[in-house]
Amino acid sequence: MQIIVSGLIFGCIYGLAALGLVLIYKTTDLVNFAQGEMAMVTTFVSFTFLSQFEMGYTTSFLLALLFAAVFGAIVHQGIMKRLQSAPPLNQLVVTLGLFMVFNGLAGLIWGHKPAGYPQAIKGDSIKMGSVFFTPNEIFVMGITLTLMLIFFVIFRYTKVGLAMRASAQDIKASQLMGIKVTNVFTATWAVGAILGGVAGMMTAPITFLDTHMMFDVLIMAFAAAVLGGFLSLPGAVVGGLIIGVFENLIAFYLSPELKLVYTFLLIIIVLYIRPQGIFGGTQSVKKV
Amino acid sequence: MLTFNDITVQFGGLTAVNSLSFEVPKGQIYSIIGPNGAGKTTVFNCISRFYTPSKGSILFNGEDLIKYKPHQIINKGIARSFQNVELFTKMTVMENLLTGLHPLLKKNIFPIALNLPSVKRMEKDARDQAYEVMDLLNITDLANEKVSNLSFGFQKMVDIGRAMIVNPQLILLDEPVAGMNPIETEKISELILRLKNELGYTVLLIEHDMSLVMKVSDAVTVMNFGKKISEGTPAEVQNDPVVIEAYLGEVETHVAAK
Amino acid sequence: MILKLLENKRLTIGLLVVFMLIYPFLVGNSNYFMTLFVITCIYAITSMSLNLLIGYGGQISVGHAGFLTVGGYSVAILSSTVGLPFFLALPLAGIMTGSIGLLIGLPAVRLKGHFLAVATLGFGLSIPQIVLNWDGLTGGYSGLAVTKPLMFGSDFSLFYVFVVITVIITWLIQNIVKSSLGRAFIAIRDSEVAAQAIGINISFYKTTMFVISSFFTGIAGGIYGYWVGFVSPNDFIITNSFLVLAMIVVGGLASIPGSIIGAVLFSVIPHFTDSYIGITNIVIGIAVVLIILFKPDGIVSLFKMNKQKLVKPAGKGELLVQGGEKENANI
Ligand SMILES: Nc1ncnc2c1ncn2[C@@H]1O[C@H](COP(=O)(O)OP(=O)(O)O)[C@@H](O)[C@H]1O
Ligand SMILES: [Mg+2]
Repeated sequence: MQIIVSGLIFGCIYGLAALGLVLIYKTTDLVNFAQGEMAMVTTFVSFTFLSQFEMGYTTSFLLALLFAAVFGAIVHQGIMKRLQSAPPLNQLVVTLGLFMVFNGLAGLIWGHKPAGYPQAIKGDSIKMGSVFFTPNEIFVMGITLTLMLIFFVIFRYTKVGLAMRASAQDIKASQLMGIKVTNVFTATWAVGAILGGVAGMMTAPITFLDTHMMFDVLIMAFAAAVLGGFLSLPGAVVGGLIIGVFENLIAFYLSPELKLVYTFLLIIIVLYIRPQGIFGGTQSVKKV
Repeated sequence: MLTFNDITVQFGGLTAVNSLSFEVPKGQIYSIIGPNGAGKTTVFNCISRFYTPSKGSILFNGEDLIKYKPHQIINKGIARSFQNVELFTKMTVMENLLTGLHPLLKKNIFPIALNLPSVKRMEKDARDQAYEVMDLLNITDLANEKVSNLSFGFQKMVDIGRAMIVNPQLILLDEPVAGMNPIETEKISELILRLKNELGYTVLLIEHDMSLVMKVSDAVTVMNFGKKISEGTPAEVQNDPVVIEAYLGEVETHVAAK
Repeated sequence: MILKLLENKRLTIGLLVVFMLIYPFLVGNSNYFMTLFVITCIYAITSMSLNLLIGYGGQISVGHAGFLTVGGYSVAILSSTVGLPFFLALPLAGIMTGSIGLLIGLPAVRLKGHFLAVATLGFGLSIPQIVLNWDGLTGGYSGLAVTKPLMFGSDFSLFYVFVVITVIITWLIQNIVKSSLGRAFIAIRDSEVAAQAIGINISFYKTTMFVISSFFTGIAGGIYGYWVGFVSPNDFIITNSFLVLAMIVVGGLASIPGSIIGAVLFSVIPHFTDSYIGITNIVIGIAVVLIILFKPDGIVSLFKMNKQKLVKPAGKGELLVQGGEKENANI
C-alpha cells in the first residue's frame, strides 16, 4: 500500500507535466519537448528567489510561476508561432533544439552541481490507516487534483476554454469569429509552462535540483500523455498516475534498475492493443 | 465479372449502402450515378476492401473479395482511381506511374541494393511502360514535373494513369472528369472508350457529368440514399421519373444552400 | 560560385573521395582527428539509415541510438567473447541489430505519430539500461573490450577500411531509395490509401524499413566498437538519438546528401566547442532552431533551389491554371 501511495506522488508530478503537454498539444498541435527544461529553468529561478534573495517559499513559488508564464509566452511568440504550419517533425526537432539551448544555458548560469531544494511544507509523517504520508506528499496530491479540476473546468465551461477549443478545431473559422488565435495559443503556452513549473518545483525536493532533473519526468510525462490518448486532459493525469504506481511497484518487487524498461514495455503493450491510447476514443474508418 | 450481392455498409447509425445488388458484365462500361452522398464512393471502397460491409458478398470472377486485404485486390486484376486524387504528392508524374507498377516489379533487396544489371533493365522497361501510359493520356511532357505542381485536371489524369499501368481487368474510375474543362473531358471520354475497345478493360465508372455517362456507358445504375433506385441503359434511366425526382431534390437543396 | 560547382555531382563526389583518401596525411595521422572523421562516418551512416525510415518512409524513430549500442555490443561480444574475425563479426552485428529492428518494427506497424515516437523513445531509453543490467553478457557498468582486427595492423589501414565501408553503404542506401522499394516507402509516407490500392503491403514494408534502417545503423555501431576498441552502456544514449534526428531535419529530409551534411555539421561542431559541454548544447540547439526557422527544407535545399532553376524548362506556366467546370447535376 505504501508503495502504491508513493507511486501516486510521482504519478501526480508526471500527470501535472503531462497536463501541460496535452494542453499545448490539444490547442496548438505542437508537442513541446522543451517543456521539461523550461520547468527546470523555472525551478532554478524559484531557487534563486529562495536562496539569493531569501524570500519565503510562497512568494518564490508564485514569482517563479509568473516567470514561467512569461517564459512560455516568449517561447511561443518568438519561435513556435512561426512554425504553426510547419511539418510536425520540424516542430518536434525545434523543441528538441530548445531543449538543448535551455539545458546548456541553465548549466552556464547555475552550474552542474546538484543542490538541495526545500519541500513546500515541512513536518513529520502522518499515519492514515497503515500508510504514512508526509505533509508535502499531501500537498503534491492536493495541488495536482486542484489544478486538474481548475483546467478541466476552464477548458470545458469558460469563454477562454471555448476560445481554446475553437482555435484547436479550426484556426481560420475561429479567426473569422473574432478570436485572436495567436493570443490564445500564447496564453496556452504560458499555462503549459506554469503547469510544468509546478511539476518542477514538486520534483526538486525529491531528486535534488540540477539541470538534468526534469529529463526523466518529461519522458514519463510524454509517455503518460500518450497512454492517455494525447488529447484527453483527465487521460494525461490518469496516465501519469498509472505510470507512477506501476514504476514504483516494479522498482520494489522486480528490479529498481529496470523500472524504465518495464514501464515502456507496459506502454508498448497497451498501445499495441489500443493504438489510440486508453482515453483516445474509438478509431473511425478513414474516409477515402 | 463483378457481382454485388445484397451489400450493406454502415457507419455508426448511418447506412451508406443499403442492400445493394448489381452485376457488371465483362467488357462493358458500367456507370453508377446518383446525388452526392448517395453511397457511390462507398461502393468502390468496398471493392478496394477499405470498408467491410456488414452484410452481403462481392464476387469477382466467382471469388468473394471480402476475404482479401486492400493491397491484395490489385493482384486480382482490379485497379482504381480516386475521387479526390490520392497521388504521392512529392513524387514526379513519372515516379507516380512507376510506383503504380509496384505489383509487377521485383522487390528483392539484394539485387536492388547492388543495382545489378537486371534491376537496371527492369527500371528501364518500367520507364518505357510509363511513357506509353503518358502517351495515351497526352502528358508526356509533364513526366518530370512534381504532381503537386499540376492542376487538378492533370492530377486526375495521373491518378487514372497510375491505375491503368498494371493492365487491370477491371478499372474503377471515381468521377474521372471532375475539375476538368470541356476539352480535357472530351479527351477522357475518348480514353475510357479506348480502354474498353482497344485494351479490353471492364470499366466501372462513377460520374456526375451526364453527357459523358450517356456517351460511354453500356449500362447505368442510379443510387440514392444508399439504395439502387433505377437500372438500365442510359436512355432508360434518363427517362425514369424516379431518377428525375431524385436529382430535382438535389438541385433544390443546392439552390436552398446558396 | 562554390554552390554552382557543387552541383556537378561527379565533381563533388570525386573531390570528396580525394579528400577522404588524403585526410590522414592532412591531419598528420593524428589519432584525435582520425577519430573525429570516423565518428562523422558513423553518424553519416546512422543519419542516412534514419532518413530512410523517417524522410522516405514517414515512420518516426526517436530511439535510433539504441541500434548503435546494439551494433557496438554485437561486435564486442562476437569479436572478444566468441572470437569471430572482423569480416564476419561486422556483418553479423548488422544482422543482429536488424533482428532487433524487426522486433521493434512489428508493434510499430500499428502505431502512428506521437504513439510511434513514444514506442521508439522507450526502446532508445531502455537499451542502455538493459545493457547495464545484463552483466553476464555485456560486462555491465565496466563495458566490453573489442578485439581489434589484426589483419589491418594499424589504425591507419583500419581508417581506410571504414571509409570504404561508409562509401559502399552510402551507395547501397542510395540504390535502395531510388528503387521500386524506395518508391514503396515514399508511397506509404505520402498516401497509405493509394499505396494499398496499388498493391503495397503497408505492414510488410514498414517492418522492412525498420529492418534495413537498423541493419545499417548496427554496422555503424560496429564500426564504432572496432575503432574505439571498447564499448560501454553510455556511449550512445537518448540525446544521441535526438542529435541524429536533428541531423536529418537540418540536413534535409528524404535526401542522402542532406543526411551527410547534417552528420558532418553536428559531428564537427563539438570539436570547436567541446571545451565546455554546455556550450556545445547551446550552439547545436541554436543551429537547429535557426536552420529550421529559415531553411525549413534543410541545408540541402540551398543546393536544390539553384538546381531547379537551372533545369526547369520555360513556359510551363499554363500547367498551374485550374481546369474549370465543376459537377453539373443535369440529367
Ligand atoms: N469513413 C466514413 N465514415 C463515416 N461516414 C462515411 C464514411 N465514408 C462515407 N461516409 C458517409 O456515407 C455516405 C455516402 O458517402 P459516399 O459513398 O462518399 O457518397 P458519394 O460518393 O455517392 O457522394 C455519406 O453520407 C458519407 O458521409
Ligand atoms: Mg463520391
